[in-house]
Amino acid sequence: MSTTSQKHRNFVSEPMADKPVTALAGIGDRLGHSLMEQGYDKAYVVLGQFLLLRKDTELFCYWLKDVTAANSMQADDCAQCLKEWCDAFL
Amino acid sequence: MPFVEDPACLSKSRLKSDLVAHNVELPPAGSKKEAYVALHLRHVDQTNAADFSSDDDQEHNVAGGDPEGAKELDPSALTDKDLKALLFKYGVQAGPILASTRAVYEKKLRKLLQSAGEGESNEADNAVLYSDSDEEDVSEKDEEKELEGEQEKKSEALELNQQQCNEKNVPAQKGDFFYPQCFFLSSRLRPCPPRNNERSSKRNSKNALKSSERTRPHRSQTPAGISKVSSIAQHSGLRSGVPSGSQSVVSSSCSSFSSQDFSITQMVEKMESRSAPSACSYSKPEHWSRSSRDPVKDILKDLLPDTKTSPTGIYATPRRPIKGAAQRPIQYAYPDTPVTPTTLERQEVARRLAPVYVQVLVFFAVMCILFLIFVNVENTNNVVSLLERQNQRPDGEEGIPALDETQDAACGEL
Repeated sequence: MSTTSQKHRNFVSEPMADKPVTALAGIGDRLGHSLMEQGYDKAYVVLGQFLLLRKDTELFCYWLKDVTAANSMQADDCAQCLKEWCDAFL
Repeated sequence: MPFVEDPACLSKSRLKSDLVAHNVELPPAGSKKEAYVALHLRHVDQTNAADFSSDDDQEHNVAGGDPEGAKELDPSALTDKDLKALLFKYGVQAGPILASTRAVYEKKLRKLLQSAGEGESNEADNAVLYSDSDEEDVSEKDEEKELEGEQEKKSEALELNQQQCNEKNVPAQKGDFFYPQCFFLSSRLRPCPPRNNERSSKRNSKNALKSSERTRPHRSQTPAGISKVSSIAQHSGLRSGVPSGSQSVVSSSCSSFSSQDFSITQMVEKMESRSAPSACSYSKPEHWSRSSRDPVKDILKDLLPDTKTSPTGIYATPRRPIKGAAQRPIQYAYPDTPVTPTTLERQEVARRLAPVYVQVLVFFAVMCILFLIFVNVENTNNVVSLLERQNQRPDGEEGIPALDETQDAACGEL
């Protein structure tokens, strides 16, 4: 069994629709706020960024750490969450 | 943007990579950093100065014409196209390079350049390895430490999850645990070798380390093989190369793992001894436990004739024997009839009450008496015959008038 959080499982279990960016695994209040300030207010916008980077988790981690004050673990969680969502629904 | 850095500040590997990029002949291997710095100052900085002078006017041409040189300085000087081309050269399929993605790709390129530079420098270092004995020892120690670290992790994993880890680690490390797993299982089936009795008292991962340390002479015999493998691993930039080196070590020194089995079987025995009495008390009453051990013992002795008898009568077996399988008929550890608690209760209740056969006898006796009474009441002829029989008793005459009275009363009623 992989060590995924409940948030991850919740996000990956259904289409993200209009979920806010804080619904992503690894994105809490602080990171969510900083993302929203930059215009990434919805999860699908962050998904867009992830897709622009050709669904590469490493590059996405670089991007997230650049844009926000995310640490490696948070960035990895978010990237993994998006990747799994894409595998399931895209 | 700091293009020009003091060459003395750069690392030796960085200097080497810069020199290689500028097609400058490297100084002989083993030379000091100063030589590299001097060369760097002479050649690389000259070309940088030339680049900068024409930077503003011919930035595009410079970037297009000398991507090899520019890449060493700053990926941000590249155009989107050039950046994408360079990334493709390193095997990275880049997406659209936009404002948001550009920074990411530049960072990626920097990392690729760094790792490429390190790979080249490691090649040179490894070439030095064989000639320079001092470095060889250092690298050997590092590799052994890494291997020890790997073995520590393996031993810890083995001790923590005895049966499960074998299944988990096989997919995790791609056959890395394949060899130890084979030996591990086979060693568990065999009885503990006598030479390991001295270590049987210790049950720590440290002990496993000590055993691995003792097998170091085995490993030292293949230092060349390890260094070769590690050099290839480092050159390719993959960390997983080290475990592949350790795999060759493991296959050669398999005894290190068989020596670990003493601790693991000990732990298994302890666990089973802990679980066994709890299982006994939970499932069956005490007076049956004595009889249960005898058939269980027989099963074990059939399977493992070499097992030593333990004083508590609790044995550790590698696996539960499949009941009903060939040559292993079902031998109940419990008495002949498996008894549930409800039947126990019923039996206890039955003990207190009169047994069934007694009840039946009493029933028949009562029936006879009633029958007799009924007959007496019903039929006089029969009654007379009965009376005659009864008259043989000393109370016969007294009974007759009484009976007659009852007879008349009965006739009157009817």
